[in-house]
Amino acid sequence: MPDAITPQAGVHATTLGTGFTDNPYLPDVATVLETVQETPAIKTLRVRIDDPARMESFRFNPGQVGQLSLFGVGESTFVINSPPTRMDYLQFSIMRAGEVTAALHGLKPGDKVGVRAPLGNWFPYEDMRGKDIVFVGGGIGMAPLRTLLLYMLDNRADYGNITLLYGARTPTDMAFRDDVQEWLGRSDMQTTLTVDQAPEDWPHRAGLIPHVLLDLAPSNANSVAVLCGPPIMIKFTVEALKKLHFADEQIYTTLERRMKCGIGICGRCNIGTKYVCVDGPVFTYAELKDLPNEL
Amino acid sequence: MMSFARYIARGELARALDDMARGRVAYAPRREGDAVVFRPRAEGEEPLLARATVPPKGVIFPQSERLFAFIREKDPNDPGRTTVRLDSTVDIEPALIFGGRPCDARGFHIFDRVYLNGPYRDPYYAARREATVVVTLACTKAGSTCFCHWTGCGPADATGSDILLTPVGGGDEGGFVAMAVTERGCAVLEQANLPEADAARMDAAQAVHAATQAALDAQSPAPDLSATPARLLERFSDADFWRDMSDKCLSCGACTYLCPTCYCFNITDENDGGDGMRGRRLRSWDNCMSSLFTREASGHNPRMGKALRLRNRVGHKFSYYPQLHEGVVSCNGCGRCITGCPVSVDIREMVVRATQANEETPNA
Amino acid sequence: MPVLKGKELRVVGFLCNWCSYGGADTAGVGRFSQPTDLRIIRVPCSGRVDPMFVVKALLGGADGVLVSGCHPRDCHYSQGNFYARRRLETLKTFLPALGIDPDRFQYTWVSASEGQRWKNVVSTFVEKVHQLGHAPRIEEAAPYLPLAEKGDTLPAPLRPLAWPAAGTLTASLEQLREKIRAALPELDCVIGWQQGFDALHATPLFMRKPEDVDKLTWGPLNVHNLATYLPQFKNRKVGVVVKGCDSRSVIELLQEKLVEPDNVRVFGMACEGVVDVERVRKAMEPAEGAACTDVAPAAVAVEGDGLAFEGDTPVRLKLADVVAEKCRTCDTPVPLLGDVVEGNASAPAGPGPDAPPSLEALDAMTPEQRRGFWRAQMDRCLRCYACRNACPMCVCRDHCIAESRDPHWTTQEGNVREKLQFQVIHALHLAGRCTECGECQRACPVNIPVLALKQWMNRSVLTLFDYRAGVDVNAVPPLLAFAVEEKNIKEHGL
Repeated sequence: MPDAITPQAGVHATTLGTGFTDNPYLPDVATVLETVQETPAIKTLRVRIDDPARMESFRFNPGQVGQLSLFGVGESTFVINSPPTRMDYLQFSIMRAGEVTAALHGLKPGDKVGVRAPLGNWFPYEDMRGKDIVFVGGGIGMAPLRTLLLYMLDNRADYGNITLLYGARTPTDMAFRDDVQEWLGRSDMQTTLTVDQAPEDWPHRAGLIPHVLLDLAPSNANSVAVLCGPPIMIKFTVEALKKLHFADEQIYTTLERRMKCGIGICGRCNIGTKYVCVDGPVFTYAELKDLPNEL
Repeated sequence: MMSFARYIARGELARALDDMARGRVAYAPRREGDAVVFRPRAEGEEPLLARATVPPKGVIFPQSERLFAFIREKDPNDPGRTTVRLDSTVDIEPALIFGGRPCDARGFHIFDRVYLNGPYRDPYYAARREATVVVTLACTKAGSTCFCHWTGCGPADATGSDILLTPVGGGDEGGFVAMAVTERGCAVLEQANLPEADAARMDAAQAVHAATQAALDAQSPAPDLSATPARLLERFSDADFWRDMSDKCLSCGACTYLCPTCYCFNITDENDGGDGMRGRRLRSWDNCMSSLFTREASGHNPRMGKALRLRNRVGHKFSYYPQLHEGVVSCNGCGRCITGCPVSVDIREMVVRATQANEETPNA
Repeated sequence: MPVLKGKELRVVGFLCNWCSYGGADTAGVGRFSQPTDLRIIRVPCSGRVDPMFVVKALLGGADGVLVSGCHPRDCHYSQGNFYARRRLETLKTFLPALGIDPDRFQYTWVSASEGQRWKNVVSTFVEKVHQLGHAPRIEEAAPYLPLAEKGDTLPAPLRPLAWPAAGTLTASLEQLREKIRAALPELDCVIGWQQGFDALHATPLFMRKPEDVDKLTWGPLNVHNLATYLPQFKNRKVGVVVKGCDSRSVIELLQEKLVEPDNVRVFGMACEGVVDVERVRKAMEPAEGAACTDVAPAAVAVEGDGLAFEGDTPVRLKLADVVAEKCRTCDTPVPLLGDVVEGNASAPAGPGPDAPPSLEALDAMTPEQRRGFWRAQMDRCLRCYACRNACPMCVCRDHCIAESRDPHWTTQEGNVREKLQFQVIHALHLAGRCTECGECQRACPVNIPVLALKQWMNRSVLTLFDYRAGVDVNAVPPLLAFAVEEKNIKEHGL
């Protein structure tokens, strides 16, 4: 493309090409296929990129994010929480917080959105082959775990024991109910649910995630732990994992920052020298410890 | 490239510029009220040689630009449905910037590393950068806030320029030695049909460079900033230090918008009317001193307060950027952030104090 | 609906839900024929009409704006229209500052039963707008840059400007330092001035340790209004050094309860005028071919009515020639409040409000020239918001509506309209609050004369309400009050 835009003297306008490969700011137009009200605050959108060839060739790795936009409102960053093994649609789950998320919550099937994806790095799912995997998710933090978990379940033989601990404040705040029901029924993984405040008929655990995790006491041997959730949960869950003798390098998590460009240029999502949009969102705890303390 | 130098007599400058800018919009400093800003120059207009209040970065990186327009159209078969069409065509005019200083031109080099050579290439910047010839004026004086010689830049640094002009001689006798720095600069200079700069004038230009450099060295000898990237990181959690540095800061964006190297931006959507059928996605200058820069939808802000924001501004220029870019500092020492600051926050002081050995702050 | 070019104009009406909207309805039910140019927006009360609604409409291309509410004393919410009357009248007197014909905006009262009156109001107003024709757009005005540059001579000051002899000044400063050192243990810090990056520039100083107090300076280079920093010290005890003019900002902050009287210690000192650094720079700049705009003196000495600049070429400048515009007429050289006031308590005062030269220059322009003036000036605005952040009365800071998406007043577009719109927001939000310290203009890195808009507004407020901000801690600002019978507001006869 750059060759085509070198202007000749006397030529007073030149035109940029269109298309994602040339213009990283130009989204693919996509259509909402289906929406799921996961919890009062979380809504899931399943979208397909309108250009069939583009959808056909779309590839991503678990943990990568996309910039989802509503034209006229703005863009926000969300993880693609469907796995690369299931490409009928791309799934994003949106926690209602600001202007863009509120508008995304208003979308119905058939509505148009913009998608710039995939962006960022991903969970090193290939390096994790043959290992035991401990997933710990809190609230909307289950979304990034879902894509990796489903990828591993779709390639079940490649991985060792899979343990999932999923916590939310109350049972109503628990997202991905259908998935969770399926996971609870599976014999090839151990699923534990916990809520901070449990009603009487709650058949699962009650209590904060780090406490329950200490109770479950997964082994650190040939394991990795993948955590995602609010900063305070991450902090105490890491402490719990340290008690269980997990090394810093065995712990993976994802970071969130306000992002605009998503491609390492606009300058706002850095923590020291690392840009969460291109160097992240996935970091090991060892990497996080090396970063300046600006979370 | 072969050395290629021409001589422009003082009285020939406007004519030579007309020829160099043939087929291009030429931007040159112009006085507007009490400020000097870059504006499109009329043919034959005698250019102002004063240093501009605002650097010319907006010519290549506009204050605000359209990334694309969106046009919604009703589905003729199902009026309840709309489709969206995106139009990302951009008109870019071939341009020439005359009269920026070496610190201004080097700003584009700082941009290039991020916008052209990062993980993604920014097509809007790339197109304007390729369409713009940079004709820079070497400095002959050291302003009180000039510290280009601390940062790897200098009064005759040609980085980022296509042509470097050096004023030689005085009064009506004087003129400019024009040195082509790039192939493109060569071609543009050739258009002006100028005599070659002879050896005496080349020597005079060298002498001007050396004299200005000496004036800068005499004004403020360049400190050793090799340890600065590491020292700034050591200072990261030194809350008292950053409080002291930022006490008087008003947290406005003057420093960043006057900076030839500050390249951060925002992306926002605007509707053209009330019905949401048409609108634009804009990219506009943004600045790290604004609370909104990092405030998340949840209300959480990792850089709450001006001390943390200023820490990032200084850290980015003198620690993070150099770590990512072979030691190149993303500050050219133009000093505009100092002169333009309503309360005279001085980045030199912050950098020097942060660089000093940390004995006095063992808690850092 | 497309506007019929040449026939129909764009007129926006803000009608209160209880009276005027009903009146318009009555007119419709009564089948009174009316002009079709009006686009009606129903609001709960005329008191809900933010003057910015009107400005945004006018800057955005409306040819006229009409606000109509319940008759005075008939407001559904008792008082909404009384407040509206003050705000809207203030706005009406302000619009000419932008080069907008004030006849393009009108406000009136129509009750729900007055169908015939509504018809008359609409017909009269729309006819008036038709006489005026399409509203000229500010962004399309021919640029007009006439203001004398600051290097040009100022009119003679209306007060003597002479600093005390160096010895006396040093003695007063030493007394001030002593008192600050004594108070320091109880305070988070005391804010004053010290020498900045060169001899011409002072910079704010935050004194925390006794040795910091040694750095405190006093003199005509102490240009900053340090009251700007006070609100950020919420719930902490802080001291501030003020000039006479700065003390008015402290009074205004106290009046609006933006700082707590128990938490702020005011150290005042009489002031004999501060410089306009930009004027000094101009006066010192080599005349021709200046390669660098930034010329710094090696040292500056205060000598009575002048300043001596040492350096390569020593210069003596008369204070009267380089003084800040506000100091020419200053009537508060001695701080109006202060736990401690040092210096010459009988420093000569000026006459107070007087037409400042930049306001006179704006007055002298035709409306078209004013539009061209603001177009030309605002074009170079960087949108850095230094004007806002330096303003002692702009306390919203991180939550300013200039940058919020909700409400969405301005876009990120780099055009003159968006830039000017923020200046109007600033001026309107300062109506009856601005102490005219001039920090907005002083802070502007590209020297846009934004103070003239506030000067215009202050003159309006003085004329309409006989009110000056920052004089009396217990006063009620005029736009937070009303009179049932307004002395200086006449009905506009629609």
